[in-house]
Amino acid sequence: MHPINDGVVAGSNYQEKHFMMQVSGDVQIIKEDNVTHSFCGLACVGWMYQKIKDSFFLILGTHTCAHFLQNALGMMIFAKPRFGIALMEEGDLSKNEPTLEEIIREIKADHNPSVIFLLSSCTPEVMKVDFKGLAHHLSTPDVPVLFVPASGLVYNFTQAEDSVLHALVPFCPQAPAGKKSVVFLGSVNDATADDLRAEAEELGIHVAGFLPESRFDKMPAIGPDTVLAPIQPYLSRVAVKLERERGARVLHSLFPFGPDGSRVFWEDLAREFGITIDLRDREKAAWEKIRSQTDLLKGKKVFLTADTMMELPLGRFLKSAGADVIECSSAYINKKFHARELEALAGVRVVEQPNFHRQLEDVKRLQPDLIVTSLMTANPFAGHGFVVKWSMEFMLMPIHSWSGVIPLANLFVSPLHRRSKLPAFDKEVWLEGVMPSAE
Amino acid sequence: MRLAFWLYEGTALHGISRVTNSMKGVHTVYHAPQGDDYITATYSMLERTPDFPGLSISVVRGRDLAQGVSRLPSTLQQVDHHYHPDLTVIAPSCSTALLQEDLHQLAAHSGLPPEKILVYALNPFRVSENEAADGLFTELVKRYAAPHEKTALPSVNLLGFTSLGFHLRANLTSLRRMLQTLGITVNVVAPWGAGIEDLRKLPAAWLNIAPYREIGLTAAEYLAETFAMPAIYEAPIGVEPTLAWLRSVIENLNRTGAERGVPPITLPKLSAFSLDGLSAPSGVPWFARTADMESFSNKRAFVFGDATHTVAIVKFLRDELGMKIIGAGTYMERHADWVRKELEGYLPGALVVTDRFQDVAKIIDDEMPDLVCGTQMERHSCRKLDVPCMVICPPTHIENHLLGYYPFFGFDGSDVIADRVYLSCKLGLEKHLIDFFGDAGLEYEENGVAASPEPESFTGNGHIEPAVEVEKEAVALTEDGEMKWSDDAETMLKKVPFFVRKKVRKNTDTFARSIGESIVTVEVFRKAKESLGG
Repeated sequence: MHPINDGVVAGSNYQEKHFMMQVSGDVQIIKEDNVTHSFCGLACVGWMYQKIKDSFFLILGTHTCAHFLQNALGMMIFAKPRFGIALMEEGDLSKNEPTLEEIIREIKADHNPSVIFLLSSCTPEVMKVDFKGLAHHLSTPDVPVLFVPASGLVYNFTQAEDSVLHALVPFCPQAPAGKKSVVFLGSVNDATADDLRAEAEELGIHVAGFLPESRFDKMPAIGPDTVLAPIQPYLSRVAVKLERERGARVLHSLFPFGPDGSRVFWEDLAREFGITIDLRDREKAAWEKIRSQTDLLKGKKVFLTADTMMELPLGRFLKSAGADVIECSSAYINKKFHARELEALAGVRVVEQPNFHRQLEDVKRLQPDLIVTSLMTANPFAGHGFVVKWSMEFMLMPIHSWSGVIPLANLFVSPLHRRSKLPAFDKEVWLEGVMPSAE
Repeated sequence: MRLAFWLYEGTALHGISRVTNSMKGVHTVYHAPQGDDYITATYSMLERTPDFPGLSISVVRGRDLAQGVSRLPSTLQQVDHHYHPDLTVIAPSCSTALLQEDLHQLAAHSGLPPEKILVYALNPFRVSENEAADGLFTELVKRYAAPHEKTALPSVNLLGFTSLGFHLRANLTSLRRMLQTLGITVNVVAPWGAGIEDLRKLPAAWLNIAPYREIGLTAAEYLAETFAMPAIYEAPIGVEPTLAWLRSVIENLNRTGAERGVPPITLPKLSAFSLDGLSAPSGVPWFARTADMESFSNKRAFVFGDATHTVAIVKFLRDELGMKIIGAGTYMERHADWVRKELEGYLPGALVVTDRFQDVAKIIDDEMPDLVCGTQMERHSCRKLDVPCMVICPPTHIENHLLGYYPFFGFDGSDVIADRVYLSCKLGLEKHLIDFFGDAGLEYEENGVAASPEPESFTGNGHIEPAVEVEKEAVALTEDGEMKWSDDAETMLKKVPFFVRKKVRKNTDTFARSIGESIVTVEVFRKAKESLGG
């Protein structure tokens, strides 16, 4: 075992640095130094290439980027995946600008994409490659090449979806003023998109589409009478851009997760359209449907360590469900974009860019009943006797809106149930020798 | 610059962390941007480590670069404070290597004593996983191995056993069992499970065993040079190689024993090596001689992998199972010369040396072997072609990290490999029956093969669409541009045993094209059968 002490080592000159940030109301955000275990922005390729079906995602990167995608994301190469790495090798480092013409030709010949997203990574960013110029130079009227900043020097995990959507903005037609309609902001699978669309239409809200849609040539029209409804909590930049450039209105509500989030989201969205609805009964019915789950969550201490940037709405749902959220950490918090979630989290310890070493000590001290954490840290926490849930699963399950209420609640309770079904665990016996450094 | 989708070897950082993650009291600090510690997931998920792998990131953000700030000193302090490692290895990533920072100086700013720090700054654009792992392990051995009194009784070190190694724990168990049978103690296993103190006492052993060409060999050579320690570099894979290996171990130890007046070790009756102590230590020699295994003589095998396993498996298939080797290759360019030399006389053509899986997939597609031994990538290539494949070396898949005892080393390992060959290939009497009676009632759902879902990824694809669909798309793509078949010819093809159907279709397509036909009719199919002899 690694010797990890609960207390502070006497005589140590070391101190973790953090400062407090004041947001509206009583919510305080503690900001630390971002020593976390999580992925860089390239992770977004995992779902974005599947979402936009006529696209190709080209990463200008190194062996590291390729190894990341094939290992950590477990991406399998069945035949011709619609993503690849323009692999920078040693000889490429001395060149002024990378020459990608040949690779682009190969991609077009093999995949015939409607659009190529050119993702940056750390090495070419350090080399100060002019990505904008490069993308512009490679673009043709038929197949645009769009620059997507994604490197780990700036972007965490889901944040590069924001970059992809940013790059798509010029391809969203200008919607003329006059007809008010909603565009949902964020990638979800087609079934979830259908649900959201049907729900909106039932409320009398005209739906102009989703950013992104499943095809490049089907991106939604956006204009001054568009209401942008963010359905994923990591897309603040594109929201601001559309507000500024198209005069669109961004809905500032809760994100549509859980009975509480769904009610507030739909009521607020309807209000934008001059429709007054009262969904309190529906919310109540939804809570009723997950009563056995919330009974189990009530009073449970839950710790979210920061990974996918879905932590704020997840933490808020848990709090509404009666759980005791002892820390809700996220890699990036935007005071405006997340304002409503932060308000709803009042009283909860909220940390931006947390320090994992500090979290580990707090976890050991506070003994949470459930930890929501990354792929890298889930099993080790379990090895320390904690019940864990992979944070990434919340991105891969249909947890949006009313139809997502039960799957969302189940994600939290299933590890608790599972733990209670397994027999008592004697670490001395069952962990012996299973890890070299634990022997 | 080239377009890459998937690579055999991991990065230098991965190699470094494989060594440090193997060890007790050693921590790695990546001086790298957010996300470069994704490697942690390969340990915590594939090896299911129940503790936090000793890996931390000293995050480099774009803003830090602009401001000329480095967090390395404070990260080192944090790591020391929280984990108290005996040694922290500092490694740059590919991007930070370009910054040409003085990591020694930055590390010194942490105030940690220099003996607790090792800056291991390789050129990540030149050095890959295995070379980095071998290099760091050698560096650590050079740093710590100290003159030491020899153990009183015969002892060995087992070197090169490394986190995420192929069937690592089972191989170790198999070697330990054989050494125990001979009454030989294991002085140190390294890097797996070793601490700094273990490295110090490496020279106490009488003999080094370094069976992996990729990792551990350089350290054993250094110990041979500096401490005059003999070493054995062969991998005991297969029955005969295991016997030769045992004799070599005994001979080497007895040489030292004679100098030290210790009574010689003798090879016991071979049944002493069996699991029950009463039987033949391996079933392979008899298995290979049984009548139905005669069909192995016509089985055409293709082997592709790292250096160690490619050599060993080619020899095993030909020498012990009597199979036909139609080709072999390796992605370990550094060791290609050694592989070539070892396999002299085994291969009908030149050794394939490539790090592009597409090249290997093309060979398999062209040759349609009866058995492919490869990495997880060949397994995927083979699934598309319906060619039997078994995984023999890294890069591995979560399915290669099982709980049971499946060594590749030693007598036990010979049985495991032979079983896998047996289960992978279509065999013996069953094959005759099917050949004779068509499908013999063994018709499977043809689509079943392509559609079976696999626990491939950590992430799944539930976010957007199921993985199965991706695969369907793949199958459709491979079938693009194929020759048309008439309905009658299709019906006739159905009578061909299902497991050779793809091959027959492919050969017939080629034949039809060669005689200028654009559609395969019953007549063309018959001509093809005549012409191709089947």
